[in-house]
Amino acid sequence: MQVRDYEQFAHAVLPEVTAEEFSRQEFVKSYKKHLATQVSPNTKVVYETQVKPAFEKEHGRTPKNRHEIRKAMNANNHYQTWSSLLRTSQEMMWKSCQVPVERQLDKLISNSRSTKNAGGSLKLDPTLDIPRYHTAVDIHCQPGGYHTEVAENDISAGAVYDRGVYIYAMGQLGPMNDDIGASTAAYLKYAYPDLAPTRILDLGCSAGHSSVPYKTAYPDAEIYGVDVAAPILRYAHARCESMSVPIHLSQQNAESMDFEDGSFDLIVSHILIHETSTVAFRNIMKECHRLLSPGGIVVHAETPPFKDMADDFDSFLLDWDTYNNNEPFWSKSHEIDPPSAAKEAGFDPDRNFEFMAPSAFEAAKENRTNVFQGGDFGGGGFWYLYGFQK
Amino acid sequence: MPNDSNTGGVKLNKHAKGPRPQYFSDPASDKLLAMVMALAGEVSVMRDRNDTLERLIETKGFIDRSEINTYKPSKEIMAERDTWRESYLSHILRIVDLDTGDMGRNDISSEFQDIMDSV
Repeated sequence: MQVRDYEQFAHAVLPEVTAEEFSRQEFVKSYKKHLATQVSPNTKVVYETQVKPAFEKEHGRTPKNRHEIRKAMNANNHYQTWSSLLRTSQEMMWKSCQVPVERQLDKLISNSRSTKNAGGSLKLDPTLDIPRYHTAVDIHCQPGGYHTEVAENDISAGAVYDRGVYIYAMGQLGPMNDDIGASTAAYLKYAYPDLAPTRILDLGCSAGHSSVPYKTAYPDAEIYGVDVAAPILRYAHARCESMSVPIHLSQQNAESMDFEDGSFDLIVSHILIHETSTVAFRNIMKECHRLLSPGGIVVHAETPPFKDMADDFDSFLLDWDTYNNNEPFWSKSHEIDPPSAAKEAGFDPDRNFEFMAPSAFEAAKENRTNVFQGGDFGGGGFWYLYGFQK
Repeated sequence: MPNDSNTGGVKLNKHAKGPRPQYFSDPASDKLLAMVMALAGEVSVMRDRNDTLERLIETKGFIDRSEINTYKPSKEIMAERDTWRESYLSHILRIVDLDTGDMGRNDISSEFQDIMDSV
């Protein structure tokens, strides 16, 4: 298979695009890049030179947290414009990915059912309830989320998501969209050189972007993935099989799974936790503790928490998605305290870790903004890992 | 023309569930901004297409419309287009860039009155 670092890898179920559809997606990519590199930096200038001085004049003090900054910035026209532009770019992104899928869905479904057999499996559960944190709003403004089905054996949510992630990240996650998984696996190889997992579980695996690199990192391990949504799992199955990577996928909620106690040596999740809830996170942590073998490790990859931001303004920027991109748990999930979570789930608080793992996809390095801001999380250059050892 | 019409009969919902934030005091401004950016996108699409056409004319000496539809830019041409779009976006978003200077201030009526009085 031919992989080029400047375009998405064309596996069997990646939607094809006409020249015009491709140009439309390329425009969104440029539009997002322009916002991230040319417009976003001015947001801080406007805050420092206009909004903050006005706040200080009115209140006799500086804003005390990201919430006060947000309220003050919401009234500023430059910020309104930047925000409105960013929200619009997100909507245009999804539409530019939906139209090609709509046009060829029959063919994509047919492709998904005739991929070669790489040895993976797919187990769906039509009785599984889609949790409220996925149905209350469409997360990150993807219409229909991961779970909506519009056809028999539907894979449209996966096809839209796969291309959407590539455009969203402006290619910075690599041709396989696998930077988060690859970066996390690289950290584990470095920090736990003796770890030789035989069974690995990827929670909330969606299209399998991050599941695949674990097969590269640990070729002898069996890889499992769970997700609540059927259309994205069907897509993930076809994608992984066509890439000759055997993954065992099943439709389950990570809060309560049917695997046996102690049946995994390594459990991972990638940008999953912020799409759940306070209660769900607690349940997921307990499930991880139950499923891990002694000495086993669980690691969650996310964007860095507020406590790691340089100042309240950077926290405010990081928090944009909560209020503007249908990410209701983003804010609270970035306040998670790993030692407390460890204790609550029964892990030894002295054996938890936090690490900023550098992005593994080197080709994008010089173009990254290295800022954690709405619309450009692939450009941060690092992924925040927090984990626990049983 | 490219076959990008929906022939599959499937219709995906294009609107994400959840309230859309209002950014400007007048919601019309939010709509206007979205329209302008959609228009900017379509102009960009047309520009890409024209670019393709010109390159084909240059290399082949004639136009074959099916070739336009299947044209796939190289890494180098993609980089050229990236550069062009960057400059194009600077034109469209000129008004936003001005926010950090005098043009971004909206409390200057008395200051401007002083200037008027002085001339």
